[in-house]
Amino acid sequence: MAGQKAQPTQRGVKKAAQSAAGADSEHNPDVETANSSKRHKQEAPKDAFSALLEPFYFGKALTDPINTAEDKWNLLPAFLKTKGLVKQHVDSYNYFVNVGLKKIIQANKYVRCEADPKFRLEYTDIRVLPPNRVDEENFEHHISTVTPNECRLRDMTYAAPVAVDIVYTRNSQRIKRRNVKIGRLPVMLKSNLCVLQGLNDREMASKDECPLDPGGYFVVRGQEKVILVQEQLNKNRVVVESAKGLIQASVTSSTHERRTKTYVIQKKGLMFLRHNTLSEEIPIVIVLKALGILSDQEILSMVAGGDEAYQDSFMVNFEACGKEKIHTQEKALEYIGFRVKIMKKQAGYRARNYHLEAIEYLSSVMLPHVHVSGTKFRPKAIFVAFMARRVLMAMLDPKLVDDRDYVGNKRLELAGQMLALLFEDCFKRFNTEFSRSINKVLKTQNRASEFDAFTHFNTNKFIITEGLQRAISTGNWTLKRFKMERAGVTHVLSRLSYISALGMMTRISSQFEKTRKVSGPRALQPSQFGMLCVADTPEGEACGLVKNLALMTHITTEDDEVSVREVAIQLGMEDISQVNGKELHAPGKYAVHLNGIPIGIITMPKHFLNNFRQMRRMGRVSEFTSIHINHYYNAVHVATDEGRICRPLIVVENGHSKVTARYLKALRRGNMGFEGFLRRGLVEYLDVNEENDCNIAFGEDRINEHTTHLEIEPFTILGAVAGLIPYPHHNQSPRNTYQCAMGKQAIGAIAYNQFSRIDTLLYLMVYPQKPMVKTRTIELIKYDKLPAGQNATVAVMSYSGYDIEDALVLNKASVDRGFGRCQVMKKSSEVLTSYSGGREDRINAEQISAEKPFHDALGVDGTVQVGARLKQGDVYMLKQIPVNPTASDTTWKDKNLKYKLPDESYVDKVCITENEAGSKLFKVLLRQTRRPELGDKFSSRHGQKGVVGLISPQEDMPFNEDGIVPDIIMNPHGFPSRMTVGKLMELLSGKAGVLDGKLEYGTAFGGSKVDDMGDVLLRHGFSYRGKDYLTSGITGEALRFYVFNGPIYYQRLKHMVQDKMHSRSRGPRAVLTRQPTEGRSKDGGLRLGEMERDCLIAYGTSQLLLERLMLSSDVHDIDVCERCGQIGYHGYCQLCGSGAGVSRLQLPYAAKLLIQELGSMNVKVTIGLEDEFPRE
Amino acid sequence: MSSQPYQGSTSASQANPNAVDNLTTGRSVEYVCGDCDAIVALKRGEPIRCRSCGHRVLYKQRTNRMVQFEAR
Repeated sequence: MAGQKAQPTQRGVKKAAQSAAGADSEHNPDVETANSSKRHKQEAPKDAFSALLEPFYFGKALTDPINTAEDKWNLLPAFLKTKGLVKQHVDSYNYFVNVGLKKIIQANKYVRCEADPKFRLEYTDIRVLPPNRVDEENFEHHISTVTPNECRLRDMTYAAPVAVDIVYTRNSQRIKRRNVKIGRLPVMLKSNLCVLQGLNDREMASKDECPLDPGGYFVVRGQEKVILVQEQLNKNRVVVESAKGLIQASVTSSTHERRTKTYVIQKKGLMFLRHNTLSEEIPIVIVLKALGILSDQEILSMVAGGDEAYQDSFMVNFEACGKEKIHTQEKALEYIGFRVKIMKKQAGYRARNYHLEAIEYLSSVMLPHVHVSGTKFRPKAIFVAFMARRVLMAMLDPKLVDDRDYVGNKRLELAGQMLALLFEDCFKRFNTEFSRSINKVLKTQNRASEFDAFTHFNTNKFIITEGLQRAISTGNWTLKRFKMERAGVTHVLSRLSYISALGMMTRISSQFEKTRKVSGPRALQPSQFGMLCVADTPEGEACGLVKNLALMTHITTEDDEVSVREVAIQLGMEDISQVNGKELHAPGKYAVHLNGIPIGIITMPKHFLNNFRQMRRMGRVSEFTSIHINHYYNAVHVATDEGRICRPLIVVENGHSKVTARYLKALRRGNMGFEGFLRRGLVEYLDVNEENDCNIAFGEDRINEHTTHLEIEPFTILGAVAGLIPYPHHNQSPRNTYQCAMGKQAIGAIAYNQFSRIDTLLYLMVYPQKPMVKTRTIELIKYDKLPAGQNATVAVMSYSGYDIEDALVLNKASVDRGFGRCQVMKKSSEVLTSYSGGREDRINAEQISAEKPFHDALGVDGTVQVGARLKQGDVYMLKQIPVNPTASDTTWKDKNLKYKLPDESYVDKVCITENEAGSKLFKVLLRQTRRPELGDKFSSRHGQKGVVGLISPQEDMPFNEDGIVPDIIMNPHGFPSRMTVGKLMELLSGKAGVLDGKLEYGTAFGGSKVDDMGDVLLRHGFSYRGKDYLTSGITGEALRFYVFNGPIYYQRLKHMVQDKMHSRSRGPRAVLTRQPTEGRSKDGGLRLGEMERDCLIAYGTSQLLLERLMLSSDVHDIDVCERCGQIGYHGYCQLCGSGAGVSRLQLPYAAKLLIQELGSMNVKVTIGLEDEFPRE
Repeated sequence: MSSQPYQGSTSASQANPNAVDNLTTGRSVEYVCGDCDAIVALKRGEPIRCRSCGHRVLYKQRTNRMVQFEAR
C-alpha cells in the first residue's frame, strides 16, 4: 500500500478507499455503506460522533424512547467527539503554539548588543507556519505536501518553521522584516498545525494515516515520540507540612523569570521565613515589618485574627523582633538586606546598600508569583501573613497539615508546557548567540560596508531546530536557567498493539523517586476517583507511580484571571487592598483566593459560590475555572491555572438533572453537541478540589435535595486500557491490573495503515476478531475495529497432564485453521553515508555471483528481491564503504548485510528513499508468519495468562452433541484462587451471544445480566449455567461431568518461544575474560548462578563445581615459580632467571587477569604452591 | 551459527576503476512510486525521486522469480 498526496489523483482516491476498506476487514461493511449513504447528504467528517448521526445509534433507533437514567451515557461519545482520547496533549500543544509562544516572545522582546547601545532588535510577533520539508524551507508561497507517514518512512522530523516579525536598527534606521524563520518546531500529530487536523476518514486514508490513530505524539527522526504527562506538586500554592514535628508552610513560586521555594517555619515556638537566598532564617515579624506592616496590632490581627489561642501562640514572635530592636521599616529592611546572599560578585569593592538590596529581594526574589507594583508590598505581606496563619493553625490542630498525595494538590505537566520551557531556553540561547555575533562586528570601529544585523540572524537557526529535536528524540530536558535536568521525558510510542499506543498516550509518570520506601505516593487515593484509572498501573518498581488517565478526564490549560476578578467583584467581593487586618479574619468573613493568592473577602461564601457557578455556566468565565470553599481556613479558592485534572458532570438543580430527554433527543438527532451541553450549563467541568466540595449522585435515582451533580457514566472511572475488561467489577482487583499490563502486549491489528508502515518490529495478527463480549469503552475507543485477539471456544476441564500451572491445551485443527496465527515484521534499515570528499557508500551489484548460494535472494540492483525467502547467512544487501573516504584511492570495503536469524523470513518490502540529509536510505522489511507452538503465551482479558502446554489433535479433544470441539482447554484450577468471576460471566454472555447471533456487553457496573444470559441459554436448549455434556475424544465415552464451556476472548501475547529458545554447547567467548558470552543474541552460555553454586556446595559435589565454574568456562594454564610465587612463562621464571621449581597449573583466566590487573596497580600477588598429596 | 564460510568478496571489487563506470552507466532498475504508483526506472547514482509526482519514497517491485512457501 502506498502513500497519497494532499490532492489525490482520481486513482489515488480510489486506492485509498480500497485500502481503508481492506484494513477495516470483513466485519465492518455496514459502517462503510452507512457512511456512503450519509455522504450524499453532506460531506461531514466521520468520527466518534458520526455513529450518533446514523439511523441506529449503538443499537438504538432514533425513534426509540429515551430513558434519561440509562441514556445519559450518550454524552460520553459526544464528549470524546469534541475532545478525543488524547485531547490533553493536543490542547496543551495548541495552547503553546497559539498563546505560549507569544508569551515567550513578550518576555524576551528585545535583543541588545553591548558594543552599540543604539542597536536594538525587537520581536513584534511570532507564528508557526504549516509543516513542510527542510528543503522547502526557503520557498515562498509553496504548499507542502509533507505527511507524517512520509516523515516516518524517510526518517525525517515532522516539523514546521517558526517565523517571527522583527524590527531592528540598521545605521540608525528602523528596519521591519516579516516572517523571518528562526527554526523548526516539531509538530504534534492531529494538533491544529498538523496536516491531519480535521480530516475525515477518507482524507486520512489518502494521507496514508490511520483514522483511528490517536495523534498527540511527534515524529522526530522517523521515530514516534511521546512526551509523557508529568505529575508534580502544585505551584504557587501554600502547602503545610509537618517534617519531624516541625510545622512548615512552603510555596513553590513559578513565574517565567524565576522558580524559588519560600518557607514559613516554626522553630522552638517562633516563626521564621526561610529562603534559599537568605543566609539565615528571619523572624516573621521582621519580614512583615519590612513589608510595610508597622504596627504590632495590625500584624497580630493579620496573622492571628481575633482568636485568642492563635494570638497567644503568636505573641512570642513580637519579643523576638523586640530583642533585635527593630521598630521601623528601615531597620527591618536593613536586617533583611544584611542577610541576603549576594548572587554575583560585584566588580570592585563597593559598600553594600542593605536597604536597596532588601527592597530588591522582597519585590522580585521572595514569592515572585505575588505581583506587587513598586514598593507597595501589601499583597506580599498579606500572603506571608496567610502562610504564617496556616502554620499557626496546623500547630494547634495537626489535622490541618496538607496531604501531598491528594490529587487536588497536584498538577500535570503536559507536552505544551514542557516544550514551552525548552523553547524559551533555546530562544534565549539563540538571542545571546545572535547578540554575541553582531557584537563582534560592531566592536570593530571601521567597517568596510554597511552592517546589516540580519545577515547574522539566519546563521543560528540550528540552535532552536536542533535543541528541540535533540531534546525530544533523547528525552533529556536540560535547562540551565532552572537548573532542570530531566531524563526520560519522552518515550518511543509503543506500537505493539493499538491499545499499547493508546495506553501510552494516557500515561502519567511521577517525578517521585522509585527507590524511596514511602507508600503514600503509590497508594490509591480516594480523590483520584473518576480522574485517574483505578486499575491501570504497572506492577513492581513503578507500581502506583505510573498512572493512567480515566476515560473522561481533561487537563486544563491556563485561563484568563482578569475576567474571574471582575466577576468576583461583581458578586460582592471586597478587594483585599481595602481591607485591614482586623477585617481579614473577622468571623464570617471568607477570603477569596485566586490561584492561591488572596484577592478579596466576602461575607456569604455559599452564596458567592453558587452565583459564581451560575456565572461559569453562563459562560462569563472559562468553563475550566474551578471554585470551592475551604471551611477550615475560611477561604474560597478559585483556580484558573494549568495542569488541573478535571472531568465533566451533569448539573443537578433543585433535585432534577438538567439533562432531560429533550436534550438527549437533540443529541441523538445531531442538533446538539457536547459543546452545546456545556454552553447551556447542563454539563460542567469540575476539578478535583471542586468535586470534593460537591454532592455527586451516582445514578438518577439517588438524587436528593443536597445533590449538586450527577455522574455521566460510572464506567468512566476506568481508563481506556482497563475498559477492555468485560465485567471488571466482578474480578478481584489485582486481576484487572494484570490485564491492563497484558492488554498492551496482545498481538492484533495496529492501525489501518499498518501495511504501509515500516517499523523496527511489528506484530500483526492474521485473523483478528472483535470480542463477543464487548464493553462501551471498546466501542468508544474503537477497539472493535482494531482488535487484538480471537474468540476461542474454551472448555474448562482437566485434560492430560499438560495443563498444569495455567498451561493451555490447544486444538491442533484450530491452529491449522489460523487460530493465534501472527506475523512478525522486522525492519532492517541502512543509510548510504556521504563523506566529505564527495564519496558515499555504495551498493555493488557487480559482486553477485551465481555460484554463491547465499546470493540467491539478491536482485540485479544488489538489494534483495521482494518476496524472496531469506535463510540464515543469506546476503540481502551488497553494501560497500570506501576504505578511506577522504583519500583519492578508490578501494572499497565490503559491508554486506547478512540475515542472522535461524528462522527463515520473507522479504515483504524494500523501500528506497532519501533522508533529510540527502543520503540514500534503504529499508528492508522482513516478514515471518508464525503459528502458535508449544510454549507461546496466551491470555484472556482477566489477567489469566498461560502458555501452550500441548497441541492436541482434534480427534482426541472432547466434543458436545453438536460436534463442537473446544479451541482451548483450560484447567479449572485457574479459578478458585484468582477469583476472576468476570471471566465466567464473559463465557456465559459470550455463549448466549453466539446462540442469539449478537454481541453482548460486559461494561463495568452494567452489562448483560447473568440471569438474562441463562434465559437465552435455556431458550436454545442449553443448561442455564453454561455447562454442557461432552464426550471424550480419546475413549468415546461420555465425560462423567458437565463441562463449563463457551467462547472467551483470548489474546496472543508477544512472548513467543521462537524469540527466546536458546541453547549452546561450545561457542563464542568474551575477549577480556575468556568466559562464555552472555545472552541469546550473542549465542551466550547458560549461567550457573551463585544460587546454583550454593546448591552444589551444599551437596558437596566439588568436582562438578570445578567443571562448571572453571573447566567448562575459562580454564587457563599458567606456569608458576615455586620460589617467588610469580607467573612465569614456558617453564621459565623471568624473575628468578631459572626454570627450576616452575610448575604448571590450571586456574580460571579471570583469576590470572585479576592477578595481572592488581600487578598493574602495584599490588603484588604471590602464589604459594604446595603438594596436593604431600609425602609424610 | 552466523559464522558462514563467506570471505571471498573482499578482493573482488578492489582496484577496478572500470567497475565503477559500468555501475553508473549500467542498466536501470524499475521501482514503484509510493505516492502515485508510477513506475520509476532508476540508474545507479540517480536521485531517488518519482518522475511524475516528485515523491521521494520508492518501493522495489516484487520479484518475478518463483517463490516457494511452506503452507502450514
